[in-house]
Amino acid sequence: MDRLLVLVKGEFNRLNKYNLFTAHFVVLMVWVGLAWFFEAAELKAFVPFIFLMDATMMTILLVGATLFYEKQEHTINSIMVSPVTGDQYLLSKVVVNVLNSFVTVVFISAALYFMKGVVYNYFLLVPAVVVVAASHTIIGIWLSYHAKSFSSLLVNYIIYVFVFLLPTVLAMLGIIGEAAARFLIVLPPDTANILISAMVREVDPWRLVFGYAYLILLSVVLYRYIVRPWFDWYVMREVGV
Amino acid sequence: MIKVRNLRYKYPNNREYTIKGIDFEIREGEIFGFLGPSAAGKSTTQKILIRLLKGYEGEIEYNGKSLLSYRDDFYEDIGVCFEMPISFSKLTAMENLEFFKKLYRRTVDVEPLLKRMGLWEDRDKKAGEYSKGMKIRLNFIRAMLNNPRVLFLDEPTNGLDPVNARIMKDMILEFKERGGTVFLTSHIMSDVDELCDRVAFIVDGLLREEDSPRNLKLKYGKRTVKVEYKENGNLVAREFGMAEIRTPAFFELLQSKEIETIHSGETTLEDIFIQVTGVALRG
Ligand SMILES: Nc1ncnc2c1ncn2[C@@H]1O[C@H](COP(=O)(O)OP(=O)(O)OP(=O)(O)O)[C@@H](O)[C@H]1O
Ligand SMILES: [Mg+2]
Repeated sequence: MDRLLVLVKGEFNRLNKYNLFTAHFVVLMVWVGLAWFFEAAELKAFVPFIFLMDATMMTILLVGATLFYEKQEHTINSIMVSPVTGDQYLLSKVVVNVLNSFVTVVFISAALYFMKGVVYNYFLLVPAVVVVAASHTIIGIWLSYHAKSFSSLLVNYIIYVFVFLLPTVLAMLGIIGEAAARFLIVLPPDTANILISAMVREVDPWRLVFGYAYLILLSVVLYRYIVRPWFDWYVMREVGV
Repeated sequence: MIKVRNLRYKYPNNREYTIKGIDFEIREGEIFGFLGPSAAGKSTTQKILIRLLKGYEGEIEYNGKSLLSYRDDFYEDIGVCFEMPISFSKLTAMENLEFFKKLYRRTVDVEPLLKRMGLWEDRDKKAGEYSKGMKIRLNFIRAMLNNPRVLFLDEPTNGLDPVNARIMKDMILEFKERGGTVFLTSHIMSDVDELCDRVAFIVDGLLREEDSPRNLKLKYGKRTVKVEYKENGNLVAREFGMAEIRTPAFFELLQSKEIETIHSGETTLEDIFIQVTGVALRG
């Protein structure tokens, strides 16, 4: 447990030193800048999108960037020949990204409140962001396994979004029927969207329950059967040291 | 301390085995040198011993138990220097050491190590701004952070200036004096000769020789004495077997000629290296 704390602190320190915090902060400022142009009422429809992007895309990019640095500088090898376990290492990434998304929630919510007096259901937002960020950290790690460089991680991310958003778009266009569209909740970005949107609009309780259960289960399964087993292979691959 | 039996290893993406069945033992308290030509499998063997490469065939015992039976606390015991220096480039040397230090239960004070290695003044410089030699020294300090029982050093002095190489070698010898065990690979034969109690030669994934440097020199050295002398203004060289030097012919030569040099035919580790690995390549 102590070691997990050390890893989390170390990771935050490096996010800072490697300017990833700054990059994240710039993105947050862009969101705040955009929000400036909206009326309070319109903002309510728009703000879930900010948190959705932060907890999905930003999470994947941040975890991908840190994995990429650690691979490039081979520091992952040094960490793996210390008493740190693979579980601790991977879990530290999840914790860091969850905390990061939480910071986003606080920062954006404060900005919107003081700028426009916008308030929403924080009690539904926070757990949604936690679960979405955690599951997308794991998805991000998985995407990184299949990336040779940071830019190929970006490509993987775009493919991921495209594959999972396409059905949603088709549903919106009416190409996929109403009945089938209900099952789109099993696509992680869709699930994430439903959970986060609950902060501003009524969502069927069963959909919330299903969404949470689904994302948590997906994370556990993905971690247990793909991310953790392949981690050793990922460390071994190109151990050019 | 470490026993390796019939170790075979194939990288997941390769068809051929890189390590093709090797046996050796590293005894507690010794410095074991692992030598061989480039791409022979030295670094690969080290990475297997430190459990970075998984899925090997054969057996490795550490302290009488299979290496596979250890959990990650195995790493409390060992210190590793990789072939290439590793650090977080945007963190200072001190921040790097502090981070890694916190991962261990038992640690040492880094100040004396940094001072000894001549990095104390530059401890707040970013590791990425270090020169090559500085990075190598920092790497060595990191391997010592947890006061390990076994050190794995992959070409530790490669790229160091003579003064720093001297200091590092002294530190390795002191580590052994305190009871530590060392697995070391190097291409610098004088270092190996000076440091290692025993060496093994690996060629193309197979071991060729395993013995103390002294025994190898006796085995491979020609037991001869070579005398160079002047005769009629010309330089002449003659070789005598060790048995011959007690004969009158040898003494007569020494007394009557103008001797320039006398050398015993004991070979260097470098010659042995070339002989052992060269023969293997032709064979
Ligand atoms: N990650 C890897 N994937 C596939 N093959 C590898 C990998 N790393 C090393 N090899 C191959 O294994 C062989 C042995 O490499 P290794 O690094 O163990 O050599 P070495 O004896 O340490 O050489 P050097 O003296 O040059 O450091 C080489 O043929 C190399 O190409
Ligand atoms: Mg090597």
